[in-house]
Amino acid sequence: MKIFPENVSVYGDDIDFLFWLITIVAGLATLIVLFLVIYPVLTRKKHKAKENIYVKGEGFKQLKWIYLAIFVMAVADFSFLIIESDGWIKTQETLPEKDFHVAIVGKQWLWEIIYPGPDGKLYTSDDVKKFNTMIVPQDAVIHMDLTAYDVLHSVFIPHARFKFDCLPGRKITRWVEFTKSGEYPMVCAEMCGVGHSRMVGKVVVLPQEKFEKELAKIYKK
Amino acid sequence: MSTTHENKGFWHRFFFSLDHKDIGLQYLITTMFIAFFAGIFAMVFRIHLAFPDYHIPLFGIIDAKEYNILVTNHGLIMVLWLSMGILLATAGNYLIPTMLGTDDMAFPKLNKLSYWFFLLSVIILIISFFLPQKGFGGGWTLYPPLSVGDFGYNTPYKTFSDRFFSSNTFVLLAIALEFVALLMGGINFMVTLFNKRAKGMGLLQVPLLVWMIVIASILFMFSVGPLVAGTFMLLLDINAGTGFYDASRGGDPLLWEHLFWFFGHPEVYVILLPGLGILAEVITTNARKTLFGYKFILVLVLIATVLSLMVWAHHQFVAGVDPRAATVFGILTIIISLPFAGVILSFLATLWKSNLRLTLPMKWAMSAIVLFTILGGFTGLHLGAALFDMYAHDTSFVVAHFHYTLIPVVIFAGMAGFYHWFNKFSGRELNQFLGNLHFWLTFIFFNGFGIPLFLLGLAGQPRRYAGYDHIPYLSEGYLPLLREIATISAVILVLSQFIFIFNFIWSVYKGKKVTSNNPWQSTTLEWQTSSPPPHGNFEVYPVVYHGPYEYNRPGVDKDFLPQNQKI
Repeated sequence: MKIFPENVSVYGDDIDFLFWLITIVAGLATLIVLFLVIYPVLTRKKHKAKENIYVKGEGFKQLKWIYLAIFVMAVADFSFLIIESDGWIKTQETLPEKDFHVAIVGKQWLWEIIYPGPDGKLYTSDDVKKFNTMIVPQDAVIHMDLTAYDVLHSVFIPHARFKFDCLPGRKITRWVEFTKSGEYPMVCAEMCGVGHSRMVGKVVVLPQEKFEKELAKIYKK
Repeated sequence: MSTTHENKGFWHRFFFSLDHKDIGLQYLITTMFIAFFAGIFAMVFRIHLAFPDYHIPLFGIIDAKEYNILVTNHGLIMVLWLSMGILLATAGNYLIPTMLGTDDMAFPKLNKLSYWFFLLSVIILIISFFLPQKGFGGGWTLYPPLSVGDFGYNTPYKTFSDRFFSSNTFVLLAIALEFVALLMGGINFMVTLFNKRAKGMGLLQVPLLVWMIVIASILFMFSVGPLVAGTFMLLLDINAGTGFYDASRGGDPLLWEHLFWFFGHPEVYVILLPGLGILAEVITTNARKTLFGYKFILVLVLIATVLSLMVWAHHQFVAGVDPRAATVFGILTIIISLPFAGVILSFLATLWKSNLRLTLPMKWAMSAIVLFTILGGFTGLHLGAALFDMYAHDTSFVVAHFHYTLIPVVIFAGMAGFYHWFNKFSGRELNQFLGNLHFWLTFIFFNGFGIPLFLLGLAGQPRRYAGYDHIPYLSEGYLPLLREIATISAVILVLSQFIFIFNFIWSVYKGKKVTSNNPWQSTTLEWQTSSPPPHGNFEVYPVVYHGPYEYNRPGVDKDFLPQNQKI
């Protein structure tokens, strides 16, 4: 039984690792919470002395355990943040040198894929538009310009651990690099109307040579 | 103010009464009425997801448009009407004056007006189902541009009357009116707390629930303004053809997301705080212990309240905001978990070494804490980490996460409060067997519904899809089975609430009359008057000598010391 879909992107492992790290730490905290709830239930008839029971929780001495717990939790939380920040900066704040550039336009209810055409530049007159199937080379940095015609959409490629919203009027560039060739689904993750659940495209990842042949076929037509 | 109008008829009691207790019950009944439909909606669309070919009685086989309408209205009603209607309006109206030992709210007529606005908002929401679009279906977050036009098929409205008499307009009006109602209610709660406490009751002798409702109302007031402005602009976009959210005319769809979540995130705490307040009352009464860290909890909650106004963009990590801003919001999101951890730990410290009584309200309260902390709170850490949120955002993982934050608070803590105070407001006892049955069914099948959703989300299942069977990677392995388990559990979860409704109605008329005014042996003032309290609440107005949670105080014979009893 696998929890995540197979990872095929260069940064997918960082994301899966982050999940398991937080899950394990939270799992330990879960055991403590369960103990603190169940133990009083099991021992509920034992405590008689009123002096033990009447504790108002004022002052540092009585609250020290809670301060300690909050401190430990703060340390854990900030470690998560520090660990994730590398991945966040890598995926969102930096754009590595591109090998291939493509535009994805969300439209009710399909994905319009714009290839740069023979000149290799997007937004020129020889651009080629295709629908729902995006072919990209393997082991190459792919820049994706994300935008939308009508309403909000969101490109979600689960196997690549990639998701980003497409907004009308904005062109946002994010990148992805596939490590394995194959066909992977590309679905819409932002409510976009009646056809939202039918807005399912795919990414076809091909080895470099095969990719160039396929791309040439697309440009010829 | 306390004009005596006893023995009122039905109409007087449920439409014109100024008595806060009647208004509280009006809120309760109205809210349960509308939430009943939201529950049915949930059942219908869950069945559609797991068994798309099944003819659902009264609904048939629903199509994608109907599916969107059901999901949208389920969310809107549960978040805006049920959660705030129960935890703020019902609890606030019924309990604040009785807990403060006073006769009524500071402004009874404003209170009545607030209920009428609430009722009007419910009526307008219901009308939205009978307009040409048959209900609004653009997602409960109402993101434009989808919510501006005909969200179904993207055909723009042609005439003004098409635009005005559309479900979009009516849903927005309903939301705006509900906010008006709750603002008036919130003002009342505040003024009542500060001006109408019983003689001798200091501000730090006020039961925590009252503080929580008032702080929640203040937070509501601070956060709702931008959304009202945003709603107004959205109404203009729909009806007057302006372009505030239209990128092609210089507007920006992201603006709505900011305005919406600037309210939408504090809203979570508006709901959470009264829930925590109820837990404090139920836990101290049943643990027979004084609340651990009353002042500490208040300070933590005030810190969290301020922080909650600064975390909204964590709903938009991958929505197109600057990734560096996302880092800041991520840090603040993680920080806000700390004060709530402190509050929960204070509750757990209250349970520690106690002679606790495992009564029905206590079962609800303890499971609320466990579910909220473990599956609601800790998964919030996952989502607060922006990098993981890139994967989990808008998947079923998020759906499971917010159901595990809201249901423990609204349903579990709400039910803890309901079972706790039922004999106070009805003068009768609930059937314990049905109560236990309701608790266990809810507990088991809520988890049966929620845990599969976490797994489905991790498998990459996007939310708000009207069916997954046509998508290969979501219809292989154990995923269809998980959807079936979630659906069957959700159906039983909704159906088991009928046990509660039956128990409620049956016990109100036929339940055993209470033999004591204070069956739980509680200390706060609402238990020191008759059940139900008379008009004006008290025969003799109480004078307060102690804090609200004097249980097992050394030097006192009994294990509880009512607030109005001298040693």
